[in-house]
Amino acid sequence: MKPLPALALLLACVVAALAAAHVLTLVALAAVGLTLALSASRKRARLYLIGIGISSIALFAVWPLTAHIGSHPLWNGPIVPVIGSIDVTREELVAGAIQALRLAVVGLAFAVWALRTDQDKLVREARFARRSVLTVALATRLVPTLERDASGLVEALRGRGIAVGGVRGRARLLTPLIAGSLERALTLAEAMEARGYGRPIANRGARARLGWNERAALAVSLLLVAGSLLWL
Amino acid sequence: MALARIDRLSFRYPDACSPALEQVSLELEPGEFVLVLGSSGAGKSTLLRALAGLVPHFHGGHFAGSVTVAGRDTRSSSPAELAGTVASIFQDPEDQIVFAAVANEVVFGVENLGLDSREAALRALAALRSVGAEPLYAREAADLSGGELQRVCLASALALEPELLLCDEPTSQLDPEGAASFLHLVARLARERGLAVVLSEQRPALPLELCDRVLFLERGRLVLDATRDEAVSWLSRNAPSFVETPSRLSTNSTPGELVCSLENVSYAYRSDAPVLENVSLDLRRGEIVALAGLNGSGKTTLAKLACGLLETDTGRVERDGEASYLSQDPGRYVVCERALEEVALAIDGDRARAARYLAEVGLAGYESRHPRDLSSGERERLALAAVLATEPDLLVLDEPTRGVDPARKAELRTFLHERSADRATLLVTHDTAFADAVADRVVRLESGGLVPGLDRDARKEEEALLA
Repeated sequence: MKPLPALALLLACVVAALAAAHVLTLVALAAVGLTLALSASRKRARLYLIGIGISSIALFAVWPLTAHIGSHPLWNGPIVPVIGSIDVTREELVAGAIQALRLAVVGLAFAVWALRTDQDKLVREARFARRSVLTVALATRLVPTLERDASGLVEALRGRGIAVGGVRGRARLLTPLIAGSLERALTLAEAMEARGYGRPIANRGARARLGWNERAALAVSLLLVAGSLLWL
Repeated sequence: MALARIDRLSFRYPDACSPALEQVSLELEPGEFVLVLGSSGAGKSTLLRALAGLVPHFHGGHFAGSVTVAGRDTRSSSPAELAGTVASIFQDPEDQIVFAAVANEVVFGVENLGLDSREAALRALAALRSVGAEPLYAREAADLSGGELQRVCLASALALEPELLLCDEPTSQLDPEGAASFLHLVARLARERGLAVVLSEQRPALPLELCDRVLFLERGRLVLDATRDEAVSWLSRNAPSFVETPSRLSTNSTPGELVCSLENVSYAYRSDAPVLENVSLDLRRGEIVALAGLNGSGKTTLAKLACGLLETDTGRVERDGEASYLSQDPGRYVVCERALEEVALAIDGDRARAARYLAEVGLAGYESRHPRDLSSGERERLALAAVLATEPDLLVLDEPTRGVDPARKAELRTFLHERSADRATLLVTHDTAFADAVADRVVRLESGGLVPGLDRDARKEEEALLA
């Protein structure tokens, strides 16, 4: 699929995930997203799914502690300044689960976008906001690079006899990993500028016409947005 | 009229204490193949960046003097504007690739010049053909070897049809065959197309044979600008490590007990493409074994199996004692905020020992520097110190001379040789001169199997004959 209809579908999924009122709608969207992500490449999808899983569980865990709704308390905690009473109600747990599901759907939509669209096409066919499009495309490609850098860092540490385990051990690698990515990004930016990127007369490949499936994707995107706002 | 002219150029990077270039003046003519030599941090890369306009536009800093390329002053023309005239190839091909598909990658620069898609595609194909990489047109960049990627980078540069080609240590990641083929190609392009080529290198033997002119930089100053023959004679007097083949260090000890034994080892990353098949290798205390082979022949895999970073599919690996592994990428040794902490990380924070090893690799005084502030050659040495400090029984070094200047290589050679009695050393390298000089035994990986080279006895016989 071409990047434009794929982008429309991505945005429609995000809008639907945030606007849908019914849990079944969210479950259906999550199921479709998960199926599409796993059908791309299980190995590549693994990293995205781990990230989506961790952030959704974290949101589910934090939500009841910060929300103050419901009349069926399950646990009464202390009173914390600014936040107030730390208690957990059944309604807060349900709301937390729904918010976590929304986040998972948004994450899955981005994962499917990253895994199944041709980023090269996106950059070459973009007619507006090219710099932003290129940034998004390069950032998307950064995910597997980050994974490779992370395993390289762990390997180099193991090669010196340092075991890297547990959340704390891995969290320690976060700063060098991000610093390394920024350094790599600078080198790439330098190489791109040396190849003329940023000249105002730049030309990009001719844009091909949309096929029937891409027109259908655009129509589905519109229906999904309208449906999620009005009925779902 | 000169194609490029540098007039009294001085440049200092932002926050740097000393200038990277100082009062450099030179001219470049069309069709010249110019080799830039100098130790790590001498200013070679900065000189190339100045010719591309990346200094000062991309890096900022204090710029004095002028650089003119094809009549355009780089102070008023941005690197992007100079792109049709100048093209650059950097050290690491992976860091230059923008697109996933090779075809898109080569077309990228041409489209930036404003050519229409059809003409851009034709130029891309012609450029790939000129570097013998036409079959790569439909491939994905992620599936290419280091040598193939560097050819794609060269094609991307040539597709711009530049008048000046700048190559910053472009062969540092290539095997000797790949490097020779790349350098011959560049020399041919300079001759046939009238393309001026400026190339910096840390393995100068072959480029010295092919170039027309040599520049030598020392702490930012241009101390030599001469024809090849004059330069060779100047280098042999003033910087002999750049022209002399390193002398073989004598085998001074009898191998001791077995430290690591790999027996009929096989390994595959993908079940349909085995990397190693039935490879056997013994590593004994007191000997240095060099492992050679083409890019992608499985050298790094074998090294990782030897030190336990990978588990074999079949076969057996037995180790007696601790093993340490130096990765090819020095960027993986920047976990801490200071160089001293980085080296002390694996030795329970023993700062005294860490400082000693920093001094051993020539980084005394760098203890409180951030590893990311070091040059690539300095980072390579920091990584080496971090691994050496663990004082292992089996030391595995994967390309330890990449980006290291000849003088530092000589120091490393002596260091490894002097300490060889304490441990078994496995040296994975493309640097054949370095391997020949320091190793007791050179083995070569070909098509997944090991081809033994000269062993210790044969080498001793040869040494006796030579004597």
